[in-house]
Formats: sequence, structure tokens, C-alpha cells
Amino acid sequence: MQIADRSTVMNIEKVIFGFFIILALTLNFGFVMGEISDPEHHNVYEFFAVIVVNFIAMGLKLGDRSQIGALLLATSLVAVLQLISAAVVWTVAVHVTQTGLSPGVTASIVSLAGGALLANIVSVVMLVADTLMSGR
Amino acid sequence: MAKTSDLDRVTAIVLRFMRAPILVLVAVYAIALIGMVLMPGRDAAGNPAHMSFFHAFYFLTYTATTTGFGELPHPFTDAQRVWAIICLYISVVAWLYAVASIIGLVRNPHFIQAVAERRFARGVRRIAEPFFIVCGFGDTGSLLTRGLDDAGRSAVVIDRDPERIKALALRDYRKTVPGLCADASAPSHLIAAGVKSPRCEAVVALTQDDEINVKIAVMARLLNPSVRVVCLSTSLLRGEYLETIGSVDKVNPFDTFAKWLSTALYAPLLHTLTDWLSGARGVTLHNPLCPPMGTWILCGYGRMGQRLRKSLRAHGVHTVIIDPDMEGAEDLPDEEKVLGYTNRETLRAAGIEQAAGVVAATDSDSDNLGIMLTARSLNRKVCIIVRQNHHENQLAFNAADADLIMQPSLVTARSILFLLLSPLIQPFLDYLRQHHATLLVDVIRELRETLADSPPYLWTTWITEAHAPAVAMLQAQGHVITVQDIMRDPLDRERRLACVPLALQQGGNTIMKPEYKKDLRPGDEILFCGTPHAQRVMDAALNNRYTLQYLVTGLQEPRGYLMRRLAHRRPQRDAVPLQR
Repeated sequence: MQIADRSTVMNIEKVIFGFFIILALTLNFGFVMGEISDPEHHNVYEFFAVIVVNFIAMGLKLGDRSQIGALLLATSLVAVLQLISAAVVWTVAVHVTQTGLSPGVTASIVSLAGGALLANIVSVVMLVADTLMSGR
Repeated sequence: MAKTSDLDRVTAIVLRFMRAPILVLVAVYAIALIGMVLMPGRDAAGNPAHMSFFHAFYFLTYTATTTGFGELPHPFTDAQRVWAIICLYISVVAWLYAVASIIGLVRNPHFIQAVAERRFARGVRRIAEPFFIVCGFGDTGSLLTRGLDDAGRSAVVIDRDPERIKALALRDYRKTVPGLCADASAPSHLIAAGVKSPRCEAVVALTQDDEINVKIAVMARLLNPSVRVVCLSTSLLRGEYLETIGSVDKVNPFDTFAKWLSTALYAPLLHTLTDWLSGARGVTLHNPLCPPMGTWILCGYGRMGQRLRKSLRAHGVHTVIIDPDMEGAEDLPDEEKVLGYTNRETLRAAGIEQAAGVVAATDSDSDNLGIMLTARSLNRKVCIIVRQNHHENQLAFNAADADLIMQPSLVTARSILFLLLSPLIQPFLDYLRQHHATLLVDVIRELRETLADSPPYLWTTWITEAHAPAVAMLQAQGHVITVQDIMRDPLDRERRLACVPLALQQGGNTIMKPEYKKDLRPGDEILFCGTPHAQRVMDAALNNRYTLQYLVTGLQEPRGYLMRRLAHRRPQRDAVPLQR
């Protein structure tokens, strides 16, 4: 019997891991897309999905003791922090101060989400680089 | 696989354990939230409306934690109520799962071990001064640790037995002694104990098992080639094996003990001095023990009994052994052995009525005490030496009417303590043993006069740039500094500090009982016996060139620049010699 070459075996864990990290980036990108101060261009459900997927991505990165794992976790923490800040701004504007989604508020929410987007890009670049470097 | 980061083990275990609960919580919250927002509801006026994410999150926060404030901000529709039921059950189960995982982690033995190791390693790193690693916290280990602590030195303990580590935590040491319950022969535990640290002075292997001791010695030597290794070794074979590792100090408890006992019998004065120097309680220089000469009965002929007989025979003493199992005694003449357990008959057969002394040296404390009582009832005057195997039986032995209690663990611990703290003391005692008694009497008289009744304190003074910078400075100026000079009292240089120099190590030679006029050279090591106060005063003088200069020359040189200028001019005027 031949020992299977590891590169030919698809690892379901790697698939889920990659899926959520890339989904976090794509959703984030989709939310940020559009006129920065126009609330019509930024959907609340999409924003919810971005937060949930980023949390899941962070959860998946926990417990990896490798050097690259530590950096991946750090990027996720940054993204989650930025998105929570954006969510807090949104909640305060709509429910606490009752100002609603004025262009200024929308711009600040989207710019915070844009920061998270950058962190997610770094995360995906590192993931791809690590996969290529491992040589299989 | 990428190389592991320095993220330590405890954090890694926590993160890995929390991964699943966190993912479950995120998923459950996401499903419950989106469902709550999508369920058709009504606002205060009764118009169809959806709940906002904020209100849904608020609702879920108090529902999931089973607080329950009611239907906020508006009364729910039935559709919302159906979803609220689902939310409640799935979120409460998710929370229970998360909490159970945390509790499971805290109770996980691997996690507890990892936390203990980290706490231990951190405790070791916090020790700022030189320290010793004691592997094995049995009787000898605990006595050694106590001795090190009494001498103001730091120690770190590793023992396999959790009970011993618990016992360590209850000891009232002045310094904190970190303890780890682990196998000391595993390199990772030795590293956690700081074997690679430049502050680690020595590794002492004192476990019950010879094989483990040898393993510890090998590991310690490999991990840190410059560290000192002391290894307890009861078998000759392993002792030879240790030779090949190189520079490992072997301590054989039976040999050490046999030497101690023969000293007690044939050099009682030296024995008293040794015990007194090691700080044994109740020993003064005034009352040496004087055991009688004649036939000695040895009860028990195990490893200890064989060594004892050898050392007694070396002094030409006639011995009779009593043992139920004559292993190793086949070639002894019949009149020198009695087969059987020690009791009235066998003691009589061994000639207890005419014997000078009895040594109860079996490895059972109750047997030894029984032998002592039987022997005493048969012969009131016989000198009885009894072996105490376990430190915990101390009170019973103190109450017993023995002439000498020998406690191998205590003797071993003391000899290792000498080896670690004052390496020059053993050669000094050996020197006294070889030379005639008059020298010993002189030493004892001098110690008695100098120290009066205060307990002895041994210390080593290094004449090096680092330990005694003042000496180096004055020597560079051409002063000759003698042993006597550094022993002068800064309050009155005609008086001497309460200390006696016992040995001087100079350029590879060891000079015993150095002359007071002996001049010091850089790199010398001097072993003093005196009071802690004397050491403090002496150390202060060795670090202060002005004090030392006064001690050497009897003149106080001005310190300030101006006064020094004036003083340099003065000799031309009134010719006060500044230098000898």
C-alpha cells in the first residue's frame, strides 16, 4: 500500500479555516463598498454578518502555538475590536442620542469597518503566504 | 509545521480549550440575533415592525443569562415569542457548555501541572541571588534545605512525591523556597528549576533511587557544564559510572556515616568540633563524648553495618555482629557472628555482659529502639549507639536513653552542606584528623576564647576584585596586606574581630591554620569561623579602601580633593609618614 502524499489529501479543517478567514474579508469588503457617508449603501444585516464571521474566524485561530498563528490571532483581534467600535457608534447614534444615521455617523462607522478590512487583508495575505511557504 | 512561539504552555492550553466554547457561543448568538430581528413584530402603536439589532442583543443578553426582564421594548408578537423560546433554550445550553468547559479545564490534571510548573519557574526566576537546586525532599533533602536557609542561602526543591511538596509549603523558611512536584531527572524540569541560570550554584541529587540520582547528575552536567553537581550514591558500581561524567561530587551516606562514627569513637574531640561547627543543637566545645574501649556488638549487618564494621576493624576493635541473615558475612570467624534476630539470647551469646558498646544499626527504627531497651536491661553500663532512620521519630529517640543517636540523613545533609557552603572545611577537618591532638586542642581553645558561647558561623572570604575591591586598590599602591590586617576591628585596630582563620587557599595550595602574618595575594580564599557580626564588619572593610587603609596603616587618609592636596604638602612640613 502506498502512503498517500499529504498534498493530495484535502484537510477539512484547513478548508473551514480558510473559508471563514476569506469570508470575513469578502463580507467586510462588501459592507465598506459604496459612498462612505450614504447609509443606503451600507446594510445593517451585512454588518451583522461581518461581525459574526469575524468572531468565528477569531475563535478558529485560538490555540495555535505557531509564530504565524499568533500573528493571525492578532489581526483578528484588531478586526473584531474595530468592528465592535463601529457597532457601538451605530447603536449610540440610533438608540441613545437619537441622531440617526447622519452622513457623519455613517462615515465614521464605515471608516472603522474599513480599518477592520485592512486587518482582514493582512490576515488573508499571511494565510496564503504560509500555505505557499509550507511547500505543499 | 512552523516553529512554536514563546507563547507559554498555560496560555496555549487555555486558548485551545476555549476555542470550541467560544465558537459555539458565537454561532448560537448569531442565529438567535438574526432570528429575533427577522421575526415579525409590532411597535408601540401596533404597526408591523422589526426589532433592531441593538434591542435583539439586549433581549438576548438577559435571556441567555436567564435574568429575564420581560418583553422589551414592546410586547412581543406570538412569532417573536416562539423564537424567544428557541433562543432561551439554545443560548442557556451554550452557556452551560462554556462554563462546564472552563471548570473542566481548571480541574484538568495536565492544566494544574502546567500552572504549577509556570508558577515554579517564575518563582525561580524571581530569586535574585545564587541558589541551589535540591532534587529529592526526603529527610536528607529537607535537612539540607533547612541548613541552606539557616545560612541565608536560597534553594529550589523538586520532588516526585506530592506529599513532600505539600510539606515544603508548610515549612517556615526565611527565604521563599519554590517547590515543584515532578520527576527531577526530566531535563525540562531541571531547566524550570534554573539549572541553566548563571546564578545556579549547584544541583544536589538526593532522591531515594540511585539510578534517578545518576540520571539527574548526567542531565545537570549536560545542561550546564559549569554547574556543580553533588550526587548521593549508595552503590559502588554507579559511583564508578559517575567518575566518567567528570567533576561530580559523590556522597555515599554509608561511608560518610561510618567515618562520622569512627571519628566519634576514636577522635571524640574532633567529632565534637565537627558537630559544633555544623551547628548541631546542644553541642558545645566543653563536653566531648568519651566512649569506652573493648568489644562492640553490631546489631544489623546490612550495607550500613558492613561499613561500620570495616571502619571499626580499621581501628583494631573487636566486633561481634548479630543478624538474622548472614549475607556478606560468610567469611567471618564464627566467634564474631551470631545468627538470629537481636533479642536477649542473641545478645547474651554475643557477650553483652562484657561488651563495651552496642550499635543498633538496622534499618527499622522500632527494632533499633527495641534493641536499645533489651541491651540496657542486660547491661546497665554498656555504651549504646542507636541509628535513627526517620527524622519523624526524633521525639522517641530523644526520650530514649542512648549514649549517641546516629542519624544518617542528618550526617549526610551536614556533610553536603559543608561541601556546598564551605568547601575548605572538610580538608581542614581531615588535616586535623591526620595531625596530632595538640593542634586540635589549640584550635578548640582558640575558638572557645574567640567566640565565648556564641554559636559558630562559617564563611569564606574571597580576595578578588569583585568581592574585596579595597584590597586590590591598596595592593596596587604597594601595601602589603596580611590575614591579621583584615581581621582588625575598625573601631580599634589593636583589637581583633571575633573570628578565627581556619584555612587559606592560595595559588592552588591550601594552608591550614594560616599564620596571622601571612600576606594575602589576589585570588585567595580564606575560611573563617566567627560570628555573623564579624563577617559583616569585615566585608564592609574589604569594600571600603579608607577603612581598610586605616586597618593596615593605622592612619586615616583625607578623602576630599582639597584635604588630600593639603595632606600631600604636609609631610614636607612636619614629616608625618603617610605610608608604612
